[in-house]
Amino acid sequence: MGVFSSLGLFYAIILKKTLEQVLGKRKDNPMIDNLRKKIETALAEAKDMTALENLRVSILGKKGEITDLLKSLGQLPKEERAQAGQAANELRDWATLAIKSAIDDMAQVQQQNALATESIDVTLPGRRRKIGRLHPISVTHKKLEDLFVSLGFNILEGPHIETVYNNFDALNTPHNHPSRDEADTFYFNDNLLLRCHTSPMQVRVMEAQAPPIRVVIPGMTYRRDEIDATHTPAFHQMEGLVIDKGITFGDLKGMLELIVRHIFGPGTAIRLRPSYFPFTEPSAEVDVTCYSCKAKAPEGCRVCKGSGWVELWGCGMVHPNVLRMSGIDPEVYTGYAFGLGTDRITSAINGITDPRLYFDNDMQFLSQF
Amino acid sequence: MNIPMSWLKAIIPIEDTAEAFAEKITNAGMAVEAITQPDAEISGVVVGQIKSLTRHPDADRLWVTQTDIGSEVLQICTAADNLKEGDYVPVAVHGANLANGLKIKKSKMRGQESNGMLVSVEELGYTRDDYPEAPEDGIYVFSQAYSLGIDAKPIFGLDEAVLEFDILSNRPDCNAVIGIAREAAALYSQPFVAPAINVKEEGPGHITDYVTVDVQDTDRCPRYIARVVTDVVVGPSPSWLRRRLNMAGIRPINNIVDITNYVMVEYGQPLHAFDINTVARMNEKYGVVVRTAADGDKFTTLDGEERTLTESTLMIADYKKPIGIAGIMGGDNSCITDNTKTILFESANFDSANIRLSARKLGMRTDASGRYEKGLDPNLSLVCVNRAMELIEELGCGKVVPGMVDVYPNPRTVKTIAFTPKKIKELLGIETLSANDICAYLTRVGIETRPTDTNGEYMAIIPTHRADISGSADLAEEVARFYGHNNIPSRYVQRVDGKQESTSYGPSCTLVNTIKDAAVALGYYEAKTFPFDSVKVFDKLLLPDDHKDRNAMVIRNPLGEDMGIMRTLSLNGLLESLGRNDSNSNESAYLFELARTYHPNKEGEDASSPYEPFFLTLAAFGPDMDFLSIKGDVEEILAALNVVGIGFARHQLPFTHPGKTALIQVLPGRGQNHPPAPIGYIGELHPQVCENYQINKKAYIAVLCMEALGELALGARRFKVPSIFPALTRDIALVVPEAVTAAEVELAIRERGGSHLEDVKLFDVYQGKQIAEGYKSMAYALRFRANDRTLADKDVQKPLRLIVDNLTKKLGAEVRDAVKKA
Repeated sequence: MGVFSSLGLFYAIILKKTLEQVLGKRKDNPMIDNLRKKIETALAEAKDMTALENLRVSILGKKGEITDLLKSLGQLPKEERAQAGQAANELRDWATLAIKSAIDDMAQVQQQNALATESIDVTLPGRRRKIGRLHPISVTHKKLEDLFVSLGFNILEGPHIETVYNNFDALNTPHNHPSRDEADTFYFNDNLLLRCHTSPMQVRVMEAQAPPIRVVIPGMTYRRDEIDATHTPAFHQMEGLVIDKGITFGDLKGMLELIVRHIFGPGTAIRLRPSYFPFTEPSAEVDVTCYSCKAKAPEGCRVCKGSGWVELWGCGMVHPNVLRMSGIDPEVYTGYAFGLGTDRITSAINGITDPRLYFDNDMQFLSQF
Repeated sequence: MNIPMSWLKAIIPIEDTAEAFAEKITNAGMAVEAITQPDAEISGVVVGQIKSLTRHPDADRLWVTQTDIGSEVLQICTAADNLKEGDYVPVAVHGANLANGLKIKKSKMRGQESNGMLVSVEELGYTRDDYPEAPEDGIYVFSQAYSLGIDAKPIFGLDEAVLEFDILSNRPDCNAVIGIAREAAALYSQPFVAPAINVKEEGPGHITDYVTVDVQDTDRCPRYIARVVTDVVVGPSPSWLRRRLNMAGIRPINNIVDITNYVMVEYGQPLHAFDINTVARMNEKYGVVVRTAADGDKFTTLDGEERTLTESTLMIADYKKPIGIAGIMGGDNSCITDNTKTILFESANFDSANIRLSARKLGMRTDASGRYEKGLDPNLSLVCVNRAMELIEELGCGKVVPGMVDVYPNPRTVKTIAFTPKKIKELLGIETLSANDICAYLTRVGIETRPTDTNGEYMAIIPTHRADISGSADLAEEVARFYGHNNIPSRYVQRVDGKQESTSYGPSCTLVNTIKDAAVALGYYEAKTFPFDSVKVFDKLLLPDDHKDRNAMVIRNPLGEDMGIMRTLSLNGLLESLGRNDSNSNESAYLFELARTYHPNKEGEDASSPYEPFFLTLAAFGPDMDFLSIKGDVEEILAALNVVGIGFARHQLPFTHPGKTALIQVLPGRGQNHPPAPIGYIGELHPQVCENYQINKKAYIAVLCMEALGELALGARRFKVPSIFPALTRDIALVVPEAVTAAEVELAIRERGGSHLEDVKLFDVYQGKQIAEGYKSMAYALRFRANDRTLADKDVQKPLRLIVDNLTKKLGAEVRDAVKKA
């Protein structure tokens, strides 16, 4: 209330000054003076917006006092009319301005008061409209797919139930290779199995398409491992296959370096160890610098066991027999292939220690990614 | 495979430390998994000297010694009687660890301080067989003086590093000390010289006086060598041999068994020893027959187990009975005993696939079968039998009869491979590699090369132990291994020659990504489940016995009954996940999965080509979840995919609430008259199913066929200019018979709504007071808008009238009022 009283006093001062400017040099007009004083008083007494609004209507409205005053000017003698008219018009202009200023200022004060009362505890918890999350393995796949698409690869998927031919024979797998064993691979019958890698899709692609070929094949693969803290019978891979004229082992190495830097960061290096896969020759295991201890290889690193390196996936130059069996001339074309174990990569990125969590679908786990 | 460094160094000089060698050989393809010290548990044993030796004042059987260990003189009590002043002995000091977990601490023996322990070989985990010079029942005494206080382990040879190799399955030749030594020679660019083997053959007569061999199946047994040793003395092996076997992870047994094992570790070829007196004789000779068994034959192996054989099992037999399962395990009836005087040694080569099959059928896996399975060089058989004979003579275990029987009808000879150095260079991408370089790398691994008359072509001569090499790419790998994979320069820019189609995520990938984005935005979490189910799942989901989805792909060798079939419905894994979330006290679980189901065939198609349709499945419970919520989520996902013309119809499913289930279907478009085509379903889970999955809340599911979505989705969106003119809203309230559906009402409104009807929104449904029984009241807000002007009341009068007429005539609706709304 104190604010309103002092405002009233403030307007009274403005009013007086203005009146002197307007009417000071003219002889008194008691009616206009009275009205002026009345407005002056009313403005000083107005305590809220309603009072100001009522005042505006009673003075300047259709039936307001100044309006009436202006209408009544016609009844004045002609010689007085001009001067009185001028004085009345000046009074109206002044009153319009004064009342508007008072209303504007009152509005500002009201707003400030309202703002003051609306203040809240901004540390109250946000009202979240919860979005969901992608599965962490999908996040890895998406990240890799983005890289491969940017490098000119197409992304394909293949069937999970495969023929023995596509899964083993056409990939040059010897008949006594351990992976063919019933202990390692799920079979439906002598002809059909659950693919134990994404590689049979290589065969399907090469049979369907002439080089140049640049594809990646993400998807679930299956091995007959009991579920434990390091194994699940189903897991994810992303197979890469590039076939063209003049593809070299150096191209493979370059690609692997791009992949590990994309996933694990710019400082990541690779190490290749000669290995054996029936469908590639030469073949290699890819080790990356330990993402856990950053290859500083402290004695205590559980991820790399102090070696500074972590084995992540296999790769190699496509075996000439594989090319030949799928109708591609190995004298003309060469190529490389790699199989990324994306569950392991995801575990590496997020420090997940137990792959069973990927298939439990507990919200406490899924909501972290 | 475990190989002690000292064994390797006995064949090929290696100057590197075990760690450095391990890293180099790993990078050349022979992976060292670990470097171990078999005696790592032993610590704190140093050399000490007995300075004085006196009887314990209070115990007749004890001695009190003053033993100097260099830094100090310790008083140590002992019960051993073999010591004298001046002896150098191993001393376990306070804090030492000995074999079998024994820890040494300062203590008192009958009142006398004893600050350590004087040690015998037994406390180091060995016996007098390992250290024959050790006294019986006494402290070990060193035969020479050493500096006092130095570690005693190296003196006993207990500091040896053992390399644990993980050998690739295509390199069975490296499952042996000789194989690794050959690789080490290549690694260090040294010539490899196989150790010479000399057999004196001092036994009586000639092999032909003793043995005949009849190989009846030369496919399964490409080579069979027999040699005979007489005057056998069975006993313990010398300590050096025992130690090597111990370090290789093989327990020493007796000299004969130890020699066969030693040769197996050294060269990779299993040998077998038969007591020749158990072999039946014919015409005065012991007759060995290599033949297959008959189905169902029984045979007791030397571990005492009775085995049932099949017709594919290859047997070593005499003329009357089997005496061993070829390549897997010998028989109980022919094994070496302490009384064995004459031994028949077998060094044979067996077909790898047959051994693998037989071992699997018998459920047996032995050291021998494991090696035969991988495929061995038949030329190794001769080397190995002679190495065994050499050891027999060296160890004095018997006399070797001159000569051998060697049945080897088709000897394996070296093969030659044509290759072009330029191609190898190009495959590897090493610009600087010359033909001479390539040939030099190949020479290092024992492959001789020579140029041919053909331009640029060379011949490579592959030794018989390298069965893994069959073409130019294999030669490239040999070059790469020793050039160093890590030294090959990387190349980053690869050729794209313009013939390649544009690259993309592909339509299925784009569909999947769009759905995932929408589901995530709606608050769903992506789940992943195993596609294996149990047949019990069908009962849990209340499927009738004759339901088509009970027809599943059956895994022949599942991990267990609970993972015996491939799922035919996408629900089980997600419902198990809902149950798990509920039992883990998670307030809500909103899950979605994009996954396949698996069927023996597509309906109406060939039964031999399995069908793997792809489904989007939502499964959820939570405070904000109910039937209309999950329906709304499905509608949003369909909207995100730009799928239009979809309707929902009441439906029945075995596993959902009978009154809260809807089929999602594509409605026929204008001018089409096909029946609505189902693309999925939604529903509240049947309470019985909830109970079966231990979900103690109401749960909701939605399943959509991805193939159908792929056909319907993501067509070009038809653009409509946003109107800048205000909309006009009219509410309409009607009373209809209870059975009339919201879909029917909305259709009746829309089909007469005219081109300005923009939106139809149901905002109230009411039954009860003031509404007659069997009827319900429904209130809709209709929004009209034009693109070119502000609509006036008169503009909507006609469509409103038409709508009311349609509702009345078509649905028997009583329209109560059509109210103007701001």
